[in-house]
Amino acid sequence: MDKLAICVFFVAALSAACAEFCQKPEVTASAYVTEDATVLTTIAFTTQFTLKCSNGAKGISLYAEVEGRTLPAVRLSADNKYQVSWTEDIKKARSGDYSVKLYDEESYAAIRKAQRNGEDPSNVKPLAVVVLNNPGAYLGPWVNSELLAAVLAALVSYTAFSAKSKLLA
Amino acid sequence: MSGKSKAFTKEEELLLQDFSRNVSTKSSALFYGNAFIVSAIPIWLFWRIHLIDLYSSLISFVLVTVASTYLVALAYKNTKFVLKHKIAVKREDAVTREMTRKLAEDKKMSKKEKDERILWKKNEVADYEATTFAIFYNNAVFLALVILSSFYILKTFTPAVNYILSVGTASALLALLSTGSQ
Repeated sequence: MDKLAICVFFVAALSAACAEFCQKPEVTASAYVTEDATVLTTIAFTTQFTLKCSNGAKGISLYAEVEGRTLPAVRLSADNKYQVSWTEDIKKARSGDYSVKLYDEESYAAIRKAQRNGEDPSNVKPLAVVVLNNPGAYLGPWVNSELLAAVLAALVSYTAFSAKSKLLA
Repeated sequence: MSGKSKAFTKEEELLLQDFSRNVSTKSSALFYGNAFIVSAIPIWLFWRIHLIDLYSSLISFVLVTVASTYLVALAYKNTKFVLKHKIAVKREDAVTREMTRKLAEDKKMSKKEKDERILWKKNEVADYEATTFAIFYNNAVFLALVILSSFYILKTFTPAVNYILSVGTASALLALLSTGSQ
């Protein structure tokens, strides 16, 4: 009886271990980046994605790596919905594509190990990659309106001055 | 230049003296109306752009607009006075030529009357040009001064103080500059 219990336990443990590993991961993502830098102090990036595994694995802890910075992916719901978000200084945030590399616990540990040993962490294959596009923040118009108004007013005054001096000449 | 043209200038001086700094009622109304409009324009700028509180600064709006209307109208008058003589001399030849051509057909008219008509026309042309140019010149300078001082020089002040100072100094400076002969 005891042996049977142990056997059942092992099978359960094994299946749990299998479920932890996501096979053929597929990611569908949506993203949002704040753009109006005239009223912001930092640019916020956020992406929400659903992880789909062919073996139906659920509840996996995910980690993300963006531009050399590691972040935990927050699990939003039981049906494998995650979110990764971070902020960046307006001056440092470049425009273009940001690839968010996703790792499960195992590959994340491999990355940490590679980093510890001074090896190239990019050798570790990510589980999936989410591409996030930053169209570039709006920093305000090139010529602000008061400068334009001042320049136009100065131009009109210059015309008035030159016309007057011509009349008085 | 012959003696004839010199005599003309003297007569013209006499005529111009009648019109001197005392502008006609029509011209005065034009000046004050224009001065009021151009003095009231900065209220819009301060209300919509500098976000001044319209009701709490109503008194300063009224006072500054009245003072600035007076000063700008003064500047118009002075500028017109300075310009009128110069314009009359500048346009003399052209007006004389045109009027002589116009009056050449009229054989009955005496030489004196013709000359008087020419003189009158010359005065009218100079008056009109000086009036319109004085309005244009002073408006341009006034608005340029208001924009420059409100956006750059007095940028750090609160909108209420900024309004009083920028419009006040702009109109005062305009009146002061117009008292110069050049």
